[in-house]
Amino acid sequence: MTTKNNKIKYLETGVAGAIMAFATVMPAYAYEQAPSLDEQVQAGTLPAVDERLPKEPLVLEVVEQPGEYGGTLRRAILGGGDQHNLVRTIGSDNLVRWDANWTEVRPNIAKSWEVSADASSFIFELREGMRWSDGAPFNADDIMFWYEDIFLNSDLTPNKDPTFIGSTGPVKVSKIDDYKVEFNFGSPNGLFLQNMAYGFGYHVTAYPKHYLSQFMEKYNPDLQTLVDAEPAAADWIQLFNLKAGPMDTPLFWQNPDRPTLHAWNLRNAYGSTERVVAERNPYYYKVDEKGQQLPYIDRITYDQVEDVETILLKAFNGEIDYMLRHVGRPANKASLTDNMERGKYHFFDVGDLPGNIMILMLNLNHPDPVKREVINNKDFRIGLSHAVNRQEIIDLLYFGAAIPAQTAPREGSELYKEWYLKQFTEFDTELANKHLDMAGLDKRDDEGFRLGPDGKRFTLVFLVADVFGLQYPDAMELIAGYAADVGLDIQVRATDRSRLISLHTANEQDAYLWNCSGGQADAYTAPLCYVPMISNSVSWARLWAEWGVDNTRGEEPPQAVKDIFTAYNEVKAAPTPEEMKNRMGELLDMSMEQFFTIGLVQNNPVFGIARNNMRNVPDPLPIAGQLWFPAPYTAQMYFEGGTNLP
Amino acid sequence: MGFCLRRIMYMIPTLILVSIVTFIIIQLPPGDYLDSLAADMGESGSDNTAVVETLRQQYGLGQPIYVQYYKWMKGILLHGNFGISFEKNVLVTDLIWDRLGWTFGISIMTLLFIWVTALPIGIYSAVKKYSFGDYTATLFGFIGLAVPNFLLALVMMYVSFKFFGQSVGGLVSPEYIEAAWSFDKVIDLLKHIWMPIVVVGTSGAAALIRIMRANLLDEIYRPYVVTARAKGMSEFQLLMKYPVRVALNPFISTIGWILPSLVSGEIIVAVVMNLPTTGPLLLRALLVQDMYLAGSLILIVSLLTVIGTLISDLLLAWIDPRIRYQ
Repeated sequence: MTTKNNKIKYLETGVAGAIMAFATVMPAYAYEQAPSLDEQVQAGTLPAVDERLPKEPLVLEVVEQPGEYGGTLRRAILGGGDQHNLVRTIGSDNLVRWDANWTEVRPNIAKSWEVSADASSFIFELREGMRWSDGAPFNADDIMFWYEDIFLNSDLTPNKDPTFIGSTGPVKVSKIDDYKVEFNFGSPNGLFLQNMAYGFGYHVTAYPKHYLSQFMEKYNPDLQTLVDAEPAAADWIQLFNLKAGPMDTPLFWQNPDRPTLHAWNLRNAYGSTERVVAERNPYYYKVDEKGQQLPYIDRITYDQVEDVETILLKAFNGEIDYMLRHVGRPANKASLTDNMERGKYHFFDVGDLPGNIMILMLNLNHPDPVKREVINNKDFRIGLSHAVNRQEIIDLLYFGAAIPAQTAPREGSELYKEWYLKQFTEFDTELANKHLDMAGLDKRDDEGFRLGPDGKRFTLVFLVADVFGLQYPDAMELIAGYAADVGLDIQVRATDRSRLISLHTANEQDAYLWNCSGGQADAYTAPLCYVPMISNSVSWARLWAEWGVDNTRGEEPPQAVKDIFTAYNEVKAAPTPEEMKNRMGELLDMSMEQFFTIGLVQNNPVFGIARNNMRNVPDPLPIAGQLWFPAPYTAQMYFEGGTNLP
Repeated sequence: MGFCLRRIMYMIPTLILVSIVTFIIIQLPPGDYLDSLAADMGESGSDNTAVVETLRQQYGLGQPIYVQYYKWMKGILLHGNFGISFEKNVLVTDLIWDRLGWTFGISIMTLLFIWVTALPIGIYSAVKKYSFGDYTATLFGFIGLAVPNFLLALVMMYVSFKFFGQSVGGLVSPEYIEAAWSFDKVIDLLKHIWMPIVVVGTSGAAALIRIMRANLLDEIYRPYVVTARAKGMSEFQLLMKYPVRVALNPFISTIGWILPSLVSGEIIVAVVMNLPTTGPLLLRALLVQDMYLAGSLILIVSLLTVIGTLISDLLLAWIDPRIRYQ
């Protein structure tokens, strides 16, 4: 009897032991890691791969096929103001993400979410066991840290990011349990998930509490010693901003110590060295379908250069593995084609397709009543629009790679309508003259220029800055010539970009040449040229925009504009995507009818270059201002053969 | 000695004045660093002013200009702290030290290159006036003067890229950027560094050849030269001891200008050739109105000018007995 009992007991423990062994060993077969990490794991300085990964890692759908580990992704970065070079390769890992085609919002850091029926409350579920790049656990407390200690702190965040502001005020975030967080706006906010998938959704998951709390008075009574030790900071707020700066400023990329959830982590700071280096995050939470932990590529280097032309030479020499920024301009295409064999790279398409790349932004809220009256006359704007020879601009400046168009959603967008794009775009001086006459500018002086309602020559001063490689100054000279042909006096004032911005944000400009997003899916979240909005770069009715945010400020707009504000609120409150699309369509109808800005040109897709052995490169790659691509997808790119081409 | 002290005393008010003027001029254009930052940020689709306002408080940019100046000067004089660079978010001193080293290194080598080439050629073309060699030197001299430095830089980079397959830009090849100093790295550095030296030095050398030639031509027909020759002095010794010494005068009196012009004059070349010197830093700082960085660099260049002038005055007094301390 005793022997039998013993035997059963033995059997039981044996089975239990086998199960235990199976449970601990099995994931080691399931998940694989980069060989470059093996040594650290064997030496015990890094936990095994299944301990580093969350319980349910994100299985990322790759573009072509699962890849091979190894290699260094080599790029170039400008010595200043080029932080987006980093943001767009490694910076974008939010709670949710857009799929690689920019059509649908998918899980990312959050493994799932629930939306209330009226789209006012959003509950995100996080991945259990997920870790920051230094190995510390990531959970709901980190999100609450961002919300309570940073977002609600008026010293650190005097002005809140609009992503987190609903129509009735800032979002309320609450922790449900360690892995569930609720975002509640108290009123419908149908665009919130989209916004969270765009770049600025990053805030929520970018503030590691275990690291950053040491720089806060609340958590560290001995903070002053840290402040004293940092010569670039005078008080704790400055210190905190140095350590936890926003991602779209250089600050974020100047603190390599800050743990992140990104696929690669900085090894040194951007700006003061000849090369910025980022190395793989051994705790990255994504795997491919074969269970290989991402990213495939070991590290990314950014060689700092001062001049865009040097980047081209580096590309010709095969020193650039993947890049669209700075190189992908029509003017560079010929020389890049000539050196394709030598540099061993090929082209891919980039859908950087804004609403319009060249827009005459007339100031509808002009401080001078005479100019305001003329500019607000739709006939005047129609006349000016017909006066411009768009095709000639396209042929001369863009090598034909563009189409004449108004500022509008593009063909292929679900919001596209032909009349949005084509109205008043034909080059017809007769028609132009007719409309300008109808606008009351029918008298001319002895030099043939039209007189304004005050009897003086009507002059518009156009500000123009040389930006984005879009050749605005050259275009503006052409435009001034077309205007003179119909008797309009346009004066061109070249300026630098910061002065241009300070002038138009002070509402002191007549008009300027700029561009506008909203050509594709971003029309919903960034309708800068369809609805008056406060913006750092786009100003065509600043006072109305201010009124739209706060009815006690700015200037009350006409009813048609108020209707557009109402329509946009309805878009945001729409409970279903279908409803949202219909409301947005109505808004666009109204906005296009108003004809606020005069669009000239929509560009063809631009291009980027990738070395011939780079795989899983999205082609075409969608990209836009708010959409910080390809960062959520660089982790799945790899080198065939596991290393760079020689 | 008294002369020296007096000269050094003069330097102080000069520098104070320079610092004030610098600070005002940098602040003159409308807007500040944050406006340029806002401009760059437009690209992220960030169309809100939230971040910019936060940073404006941090950088103290809302304060009146004299308060900013006072704080800056106080930091420099009391703590040797030139302020922080807004864009790089590190102390200006940390940022420029390394680059000043490279700048001086390249400048001094360029100066040596200029003298080594210009002096003998200048002397030769004066002594052998209207010879084949003189004409050749003159031809190259004029080419050197006429071709803009940056253009020469571009052409040389293109040639070395096209025909020698060399990695262009920077002072070392990409594979050596992070490497520790080694024999191979030095060799690689030498393969690159001659280019900026030749490019920056060419026009300087060309100018000095002409100056040397003209000065020496003035001197070698003077009676004292004839006397010395009549007394049987060897031709080479005679040339070196008297007329060359006198003709060196402009070389020395321009040292004061050469130092700063080498520091600031190579800006475009440094941008084109991607050199880790102060030039690109200054250009970028001015573009984005990174005022403490720009101000400090200009102040340092001014200091160089003043020191250079002092050196050349002292050298002149020593080399040319006709100059008196009055």
